[in-house]
Amino acid sequence: MTDTAQPVHPSVDARGVAMSFNQGTAEQVDALVDVDLRIESGAFVSLIGPSGCGKSTLLRLIANLIEPTAGQVMVNGKDAAQARLDQDYGMAFQQSGLFDWRTVTKNIELPLELKGWGKAERSARAAEMLELVKLADRGNHMPWQLSGGQQQRIAIARALAAHPPLLLMDEPFGALDEMTREHMQSELLDICAAANTTVVFVTHSIPEAVYLSTQVVVMSAGPGRITDVIDVDLGRTRDEDTREDDGFYKKVTEVREALRGGDHERSTHRSEDR
Amino acid sequence: MLLAVAIAAGAWELYKALGPPDGGDVFGWRIIPKTNDRVMPHIWEMLAEFGDPEVRGRDTAVWEAMLGYSWYTLRMSLAGLLLGGALGIGLAVLMARFRVVERGLLPYVVLSQTIPLIALAPQVAALGGNWGLPKWTWAAALAAFLSFFPVTIATLRGLQSVPAASLELMDSFAASWWTTLRKLRFPAAVPFIVPGLKLAATASVIGVVVSEVSLGLRGVGFAALSYGQKTTSQPATVYTAVFAAALLGLIMFGLVSAAEAFVMRKRPTEINT
Ligand SMILES: Nc1ncnc2c1ncn2[C@@H]1O[C@H](COP(=O)(O)OP(=O)(O)OP(=O)(O)O)[C@@H](O)[C@H]1O
Ligand SMILES: [Mg+2]
Repeated sequence: MTDTAQPVHPSVDARGVAMSFNQGTAEQVDALVDVDLRIESGAFVSLIGPSGCGKSTLLRLIANLIEPTAGQVMVNGKDAAQARLDQDYGMAFQQSGLFDWRTVTKNIELPLELKGWGKAERSARAAEMLELVKLADRGNHMPWQLSGGQQQRIAIARALAAHPPLLLMDEPFGALDEMTREHMQSELLDICAAANTTVVFVTHSIPEAVYLSTQVVVMSAGPGRITDVIDVDLGRTRDEDTREDDGFYKKVTEVREALRGGDHERSTHRSEDR
Repeated sequence: MLLAVAIAAGAWELYKALGPPDGGDVFGWRIIPKTNDRVMPHIWEMLAEFGDPEVRGRDTAVWEAMLGYSWYTLRMSLAGLLLGGALGIGLAVLMARFRVVERGLLPYVVLSQTIPLIALAPQVAALGGNWGLPKWTWAAALAAFLSFFPVTIATLRGLQSVPAASLELMDSFAASWWTTLRKLRFPAAVPFIVPGLKLAATASVIGVVVSEVSLGLRGVGFAALSYGQKTTSQPATVYTAVFAAALLGLIMFGLVSAAEAFVMRKRPTEINT
């Protein structure tokens, strides 16, 4: 956890990864084919693409919740399975997935409990995380007493509690209204900058992807694969002005065209610029 | 609750007032109950019966004796519920853990409930006698045999009700199956287990009452039987035992409900099953 040397490994390194569900049966689904993805430490990478193109599948492969049918996934220079055992990542989904029977604080402490942290350490860290997601006064509430956005913030706090160097998020703001969503995006950037966390973020929203990311990975379906990786050089500090920036609009357009190009098998100019 | 009792009492007296004293025939079947005082005593007579001496010439009143019987039956029922609950939850956990066990065991669990308790009593008595266990444990064991079933089914369903996303979350924490059981599956199953335990609570009372009769234990069931034999002289006495048994069922149910209120006090008020 506390490496003194700077990590030389990329956070995620997927090589020749393919994933077929129900392989060898009549219902075989080729969710992903031939995926190569390298995510540098400290990057914020969004995965975007049409429904069913394998975004969640790719995220679950990185998390080692499923094993690829071909290729290899490395996380922090280790095999993904080892990285999972070492708790090298935290995870947050569209549904906050908080446990109803635990207080907010106890929910945040869950991963720490499983890692065998002591009681005092746990509650100190939970308090710290509550501070970070600006819900310091809600520690003793039950999750169902919070709003959807607040629950989502607690889920993020839980994912980050054990200091994971990598955060995996699957449409975490998908269920939120536009205003809350933008607010949460800014907060997420602050939180991850403070903790120097690498993030892999699945989303359906182009502006969200552009606003958050240092890189946007564009995917297409049937079978799922990566068609483009777009660097977003809007600087590391982003605020409300960023959303009205010209560069921001240009990137949004670029991503949108890349998404369309993926469907049309890239007919014109964007041939092979990766 | 009180209202329900009042309505039941009212219906009883109303039928007694209006119904035919010698019963009635429907298509030649004697199914309409007689309303004479021997078959359907007045409710106040039944209540008055609690005050009579149990055995003529002695000074223990029926209510005192009944209190003793009830206390005995209640303790055995509680033991039966605890035993059945533990057995039920244990079986469900085993079945949830090992698919093979579920497939192999579940049919027998269901089948077990078709065996009449009376048929099982002598076997239990023989076993209990061999192992030198006190007689009340036999009744508790028979009660557990009735009460474990709803608990098993409810717990199994609860353990399997956990959303896939929550299981993946525990997976992402690299939690073992037993850890996942403790931290996720079991707490998530509690809202399912509680209704199972409520069914088990009343089943346990029934189990004990029936076992008392076949094992000759001096509880409420035994009282019902022995009072029943003197219906001719004092027809209302047997109902004191019926009242006591019903009350025991309610008490057991109430105990589980109280436990529920405690365990569920922090859960959302609306549970989506
Ligand atoms: N457990 C599974 N068994 C069989 N097929 C699956 C499974 N999980 C996903 N798939 C299939 O894999 C493909 C990719 O699914 P995935 O969930 O990764 O898509 P997605 O890009 O996340 O879509 P969305 O944006 O709608 O969430 C889909 O065709 C889906 O049907
Ligand atoms: Mg998805």
